[in-house]
Amino acid sequence: MKPVQDQDQLYFEAAEAFGPALQRLARATEANAERRRDLLQDMHVALWRSLAGFDGRCNLKTWVYRVAHNTAASHASRELRTRRGTVGIDDAGELAEPHSFTRRLEETDAVDRLNAWIRRLKSPDRQVITLYLEELDAAAIGEITGLSPGAVATRISRLKAQLSKDFKEPSHV
Amino acid sequence: MSERDPFTSLWIHQQQEPFKMTTADLRRHAAGFQSKIRTRNRIEYGASVLVIGVFAWMAFLIPEPMVKAGAIVIILGTLYVCWKLHALAGASGAAEADYAANLGDFHRSELVRQRKALASVWQWYLAPFVPGILLFIGAVAFSPSSGLPLPARLVFFAFAAALVAAVFGFVAWLNAQAVKALDAEISALDDAR
Repeated sequence: MKPVQDQDQLYFEAAEAFGPALQRLARATEANAERRRDLLQDMHVALWRSLAGFDGRCNLKTWVYRVAHNTAASHASRELRTRRGTVGIDDAGELAEPHSFTRRLEETDAVDRLNAWIRRLKSPDRQVITLYLEELDAAAIGEITGLSPGAVATRISRLKAQLSKDFKEPSHV
Repeated sequence: MSERDPFTSLWIHQQQEPFKMTTADLRRHAAGFQSKIRTRNRIEYGASVLVIGVFAWMAFLIPEPMVKAGAIVIILGTLYVCWKLHALAGASGAAEADYAANLGDFHRSELVRQRKALASVWQWYLAPFVPGILLFIGAVAFSPSSGLPLPARLVFFAFAAALVAAVFGFVAWLNAQAVKALDAEISALDDAR
């Protein structure tokens, strides 16, 4: 086990560098503000605890994303079991009708709509698209998700097409 | 780098809320997690103490030897379940989930762990109570002091045994359904890789 100081130091480095990414992931996983805050705290605690055993099997960035995504996936699957039928229904309704993405970009809820769209995806599509949006390449996404880079590229292509379709201009639908 | 697509740009530039955890916060939350597990275990053990207390009281009060024997076998079954709970809690504490594994491996190992726990429920959580319960209700039904005719005793025993079988069967069926769902999830995960 790492000395506590190393663990704390590594955690603060990771939180500084990837804190915003963790916050974005929490938002794309949990719609409820209070539970989202809990999830974000869980991610940080899981990260801090995991860093006691940081063994260099991958770089810090991959490590952080793995811990965060595993925590988020566990949260999503737990929420699905305990709140079956209530998760994302409001979001799904909102997305049912197409809107102009250009117009929506100017509105404050564009981010919420994108996050709602992501929350409707199943694992591992949800992880792949969020990591793609974090600007990671297919090889890095593969290392985090366990998918082959080819499978990641195929999923990204399909998900991007679906995302564009769901947000496209009403006149094109 | 090539120009960002609008979704990536939207994603990256979303507003951040102030968030910071100190080492004291982290330690407090980590301890809180352990405390939740301890509370859950205490509830399980508390329920076991209640069952043991009730049947020990019955074994003490009821003079019929076979009823006493049934109550004692139920107590032994409860103690076995407690021991298994303790062993499983210890094993899960020692083998903490590897959060730094890749998502596929982590998710699969979590599903397999849940499947293993659910698939064996009837073996260690239900079966240990069966001999004691059968002996207990048999002893009550066929007690010489009941004064009932044999057909009535048989009906009483059959009804009580059927009731217990229905409850246990329902629990086992629920678990089997959950195992089936987990198998499908594991299989879908393997196919996706």
